[in-house]
Amino acid sequence: MAQAAENPASPGTSTPPAGGPAPTRRASLPHRNVLLERVLSLREGSIIIVTLIVAIYFALDTSTFLTSSSFKTSLPFFAPYAILAVGEVFVMILGEIDLSIGATYLLAPLIYYKLAEAGIPPVPSVLLALLCCMVVGAVNGFFTAVVGINSFVTTLGMLFTLEGLTLVISHGQPVTLPDAQVTTSTVNVHKVINGAHITLTETVNHVSTFAKVLGEGTYSELIWALVIVVVGQLVLTFTRWGLYTVAVGSNKLAASEAGVRVRLVVIRNFILCAAAGGFVGILEAVRASALEPDVAGANELLLLAIAAAVIGGTLLAGGSGTVVGALIGALFLGILKDGLILKGVNADYQLLYLGLAIILAMTINTYVQRVRRGSRIG
Amino acid sequence: MADPRHVPAETIVGPVSAPDDVLRVEHIAKRFGPVTALRDVNLHLRKGEVLGLLGDNGAGKSTLIKILCGFQKQDAGEMFLHGNPYQPKSVDDARAQGIDTVYQDLALIDELSVYHNLALRREKVHHPIPFLANREMKRDARRALDEIGINIPRIDISVARLSGGQRQAIAVARTVNSDADIILLDEPLAAMGAKEGAQILDLVARLKAEGKVSIIMILHNYVHVLEACDRVSMIQDGVIALDKPTAETSVEELTDIVVNEYRRAREATHKEEAAAEAAPPAS
Repeated sequence: MAQAAENPASPGTSTPPAGGPAPTRRASLPHRNVLLERVLSLREGSIIIVTLIVAIYFALDTSTFLTSSSFKTSLPFFAPYAILAVGEVFVMILGEIDLSIGATYLLAPLIYYKLAEAGIPPVPSVLLALLCCMVVGAVNGFFTAVVGINSFVTTLGMLFTLEGLTLVISHGQPVTLPDAQVTTSTVNVHKVINGAHITLTETVNHVSTFAKVLGEGTYSELIWALVIVVVGQLVLTFTRWGLYTVAVGSNKLAASEAGVRVRLVVIRNFILCAAAGGFVGILEAVRASALEPDVAGANELLLLAIAAAVIGGTLLAGGSGTVVGALIGALFLGILKDGLILKGVNADYQLLYLGLAIILAMTINTYVQRVRRGSRIG
Repeated sequence: MADPRHVPAETIVGPVSAPDDVLRVEHIAKRFGPVTALRDVNLHLRKGEVLGLLGDNGAGKSTLIKILCGFQKQDAGEMFLHGNPYQPKSVDDARAQGIDTVYQDLALIDELSVYHNLALRREKVHHPIPFLANREMKRDARRALDEIGINIPRIDISVARLSGGQRQAIAVARTVNSDADIILLDEPLAAMGAKEGAQILDLVARLKAEGKVSIIMILHNYVHVLEACDRVSMIQDGVIALDKPTAETSVEELTDIVVNEYRRAREATHKEEAAAEAAPPAS
């Protein structure tokens, strides 16, 4: 009987037949739990369930939640966090944290603006701005990995320094971005009506392809977020870069004894994270056609991005993380914000509910994870 | 350079080199701040030989291994590999020159699977997109583990879920499987059950019989040393205090040396304390 129960379980495992029979807790569970268990055995399983619960709640509670316009308005609440969280996941797996993304978020569009103002074409300006962010990331990584300062402190210092620099350069004033403007022009349209030629004037809006691609198109940020998440997860799971990231995060000494160049791994992940911060800054500035040196807003954004990563299942202590989880964590935050607005929650109460919901979600998340570990196939 | 007071009373040291040496170490010294780990170590390893490295806790055995494998740099002294100057820049560099190590802490990554641990820093990747060739690495891992004859039922689970002995076996398999011609084993039998320990010693014997690799092995159990090694070197207070073929020594002799050294060190400490008490306090 026991032998018979083992057989259905074996195709699900990737052990070669010679590897001996795997312990079969799964086989002893009732059949109806298999799907639930599949979901739970994913690292992202718990947050998927929590997010679904929140989405279903809002869908039942408000008539407008499940509409395409609601989806569109929720995108800015979600896509930027997803991209920032991808960078943050790579740093957090190392057991480090990068707070300075709030500053690169502000600084990158400002650099881009200054370069564009100086007559450099938009695309090289953006690339140069991102390069500056990567230098910031390299400096963060240097102080963390080589000098040996705790990354929380390093990047907090960097956050204040660069936010200060942004305020100094911009004089704290918002500026409009030159290439992201919606330009209107009046064109003459010739029409033939009842055989008579008449000329009408019409107003036409133009947005440059550059601006459409970099944030101004409705789905531009969403597409960027999805692409970056997919690439990020592939890098994390299927490349040496990801393998070494997990190795360093799990055990620095062992990794270096095995020959992994720990400092290099740390520095390049900080570079990646800073670049993500700068890129989101540019996307958001182009989307708004303006950049506003809003330090408080940037700080909130950075904390929510870290929250998205943690909610998604990345450990603050390092060693383990998931990019797809961060995306779902960001989705959870986006749904929450959008849902609260649609529900007509007073603006003063929104932050209160958001905070409580994050704590509640993490509680459920942790509980579900405990169930998941219990259900793990040994 | 060396404080003569700390040099062991008697040193029984054989010739410090042989014509068929693969590795030779001359006058190696290493300090960590105020702590002197190695004073003046001379050591050689002949081709195909299994050298047992002995010494009490803190004698400097692991430090010597870490210098040999490129993890740390010596403060003074020279090393020669196959007669040529040898100064590894990194663990990778030492490995490229044919020296591989099983560390005392095993250098395993708990979060990674058995086969990823076995392949770490020697990963196989696809071309042109450099994704990890996991299937190939799994196959290699299975073969390597079968070869050393230690049973690890599943190689796709994380090493955190294995027993101490299984973890040790994986660390040994990783090194043995590395094409190195010099293998350094830092306490390969720690955390192992009697049966697993015997399997590792059998593996060492098999490698010796094949004659392709030379091995330096740190051990604590003198019976194991006499059983598995051709020659034994004992470090005391940062110098080699004994260097003899195992056939010419015994468990009693090795034990005596360690115990005598301990007594002598204790007496020296008492004398120092007495001197300190007698002397007027320094301003």
